[in-house]
Amino acid sequence: MEQFIELITRINTFDLIGVILWGLAGAISFNFSIGNARVWTSISLGFFLIFIGQAYAINPWAHDYGLSAFHNIVGTVAIVVITHGFLEYYVFCRTFEISGKKIAVYLFSLLILVAGGMFLYINPTPSPNTIRNFKIVENAIWVFLSIMNLELIRKIYIAIKDSPISKAFIAFGIVFFLIFLWKGSELYLQIFQWDRDWQDITAVMNGKVPDIGNFTGRVNISMLVNKYAGLLSSLSVGGTFIYLYRLLK
Amino acid sequence: MFLLPKGIPLFENLAVGMLKLPEVISKLSAGSFTGYASFVFQDSTVILVFEAGKLVSAMSEEQNGNRQTGFEAVSALCYRMVGKSGGSLNVYKLSKDLTTCIHALFQGEILYKAQELKLIDIKSLLKKIGTDRMNGCLRIYTDDRSAMIFYKDGSPLGFFHDGSQDIETSANESQKIAGLPGAKIDLFSTHEAGRLMGLDLLEVVNIQNIWETAVAQKRSEIIKINKAREERQKENIAAKIAELEETVKSIVVNKVGKVGRGIVEKELADQGGNACLLDETKSVKFLAGIERSAKLLISATSLKAMMELLSKTITSARIER
Repeated sequence: MEQFIELITRINTFDLIGVILWGLAGAISFNFSIGNARVWTSISLGFFLIFIGQAYAINPWAHDYGLSAFHNIVGTVAIVVITHGFLEYYVFCRTFEISGKKIAVYLFSLLILVAGGMFLYINPTPSPNTIRNFKIVENAIWVFLSIMNLELIRKIYIAIKDSPISKAFIAFGIVFFLIFLWKGSELYLQIFQWDRDWQDITAVMNGKVPDIGNFTGRVNISMLVNKYAGLLSSLSVGGTFIYLYRLLK
Repeated sequence: MFLLPKGIPLFENLAVGMLKLPEVISKLSAGSFTGYASFVFQDSTVILVFEAGKLVSAMSEEQNGNRQTGFEAVSALCYRMVGKSGGSLNVYKLSKDLTTCIHALFQGEILYKAQELKLIDIKSLLKKIGTDRMNGCLRIYTDDRSAMIFYKDGSPLGFFHDGSQDIETSANESQKIAGLPGAKIDLFSTHEAGRLMGLDLLEVVNIQNIWETAVAQKRSEIIKINKAREERQKENIAAKIAELEETVKSIVVNKVGKVGRGIVEKELADQGGNACLLDETKSVKFLAGIERSAKLLISATSLKAMMELLSKTITSARIER
């Protein structure tokens, strides 16, 4: 407990607010998944997993590299499950077919997470550089699937635009736009090695600092976008699920 | 229509619909019957004349005066008996002589037909019969009574009235009928009894075959009519189901949006087409499918209202059917 309190006091307030907001969004979306159809289960479970992925900031054992990498795996699984949900919804809009059971979504997600855990367990403890690689892969998948989800959401909206629920898909569009900015900005920094992790790594390894000083403007903008888009993403997810809940009540 | 005096009744007013002509003829023939059987329908009368069990003559007359005799008359009788539900059979016993006279009458020629008695000079007519030494028959009748006067070589041979079995000598009944309002006469010329063909129609006409053909034709007509009716019913049902399908679609589209039309079409296809709406089990499955899909698009409250309306619409359509 003392360790946790110490960790909380060390955390950046902004990061803490972000985690709390993702916690709320995750709780709302997970609650939503329980009483609704399978496609909503995938989508809402995925958003709940984002919270788990983001919770490393308040995880007292986050200094463990293995556990830190597992948070990245959870984050990756989150976007895959969400995309699966939107894909199913899109298929439903085109064919009106609904298949499968909710339990399969829970079990499949759990299985992937267990497999991810096993992968980390049987391999050497990740180094800071490996953790950074995990983050790059996670962000790349998030950016790619966010774009794909935006397109799916656009097509779903066109198919059901006179239905009562259609406005919720506009909200989801906003969510994925913000997520794209959030994850995209971080990926941008990582690709050009302007991220904090790389700076720390290089400082430890050879004391050299990358060419970040030459691009302070774009680096600062990217960091700002990453910071606020992440926060707004969590807010928009929570708000979207509350709106969706009201529409479907 | 042609009405003979009644003779001695053996059967009267038997419902023709219950009878089979081959059986009737077979019974009369086996009983060596002498007399006539009169089949009275709404628009025609058929008379079969028997002499000692032989079918010596047959005559059919329609309301419009069209006459058929012999094979044609028997054939027409078969088709009428099979085809019409009404009609009655009267069988009257007559003497051989009277039967011969009637047989001769059916083979004779019509000289005057349905002449109003009050419009003709009956004395002149009777005189002409005597002068011409006619062989023939003068029939005096109203709508429900009839009498006949037979002539041989211009001289009255005798009378045939209702209730008589043989040729009578009294003219009272004929005079009574002649005095009735609306009385009419027919005058027939006949051949001499010796020149009449003594043919038994039963030997030349296969009544069983004609009857079976008539029955088969009637059956085929009934099948055709039933088929046409079934097709009409099917078309009516198909139109009603199509109408119900449109109603169901409009209810779903109204709540769910345009996408609802596709949902209904898909669920109907899954249940084997729109006929499932009238099937209790399949319609339940159809509604469950609609509910499952609509759940992804509308609120629980709207869903409940929509499902109630759909269920009510489909149930009432099923009851109406």
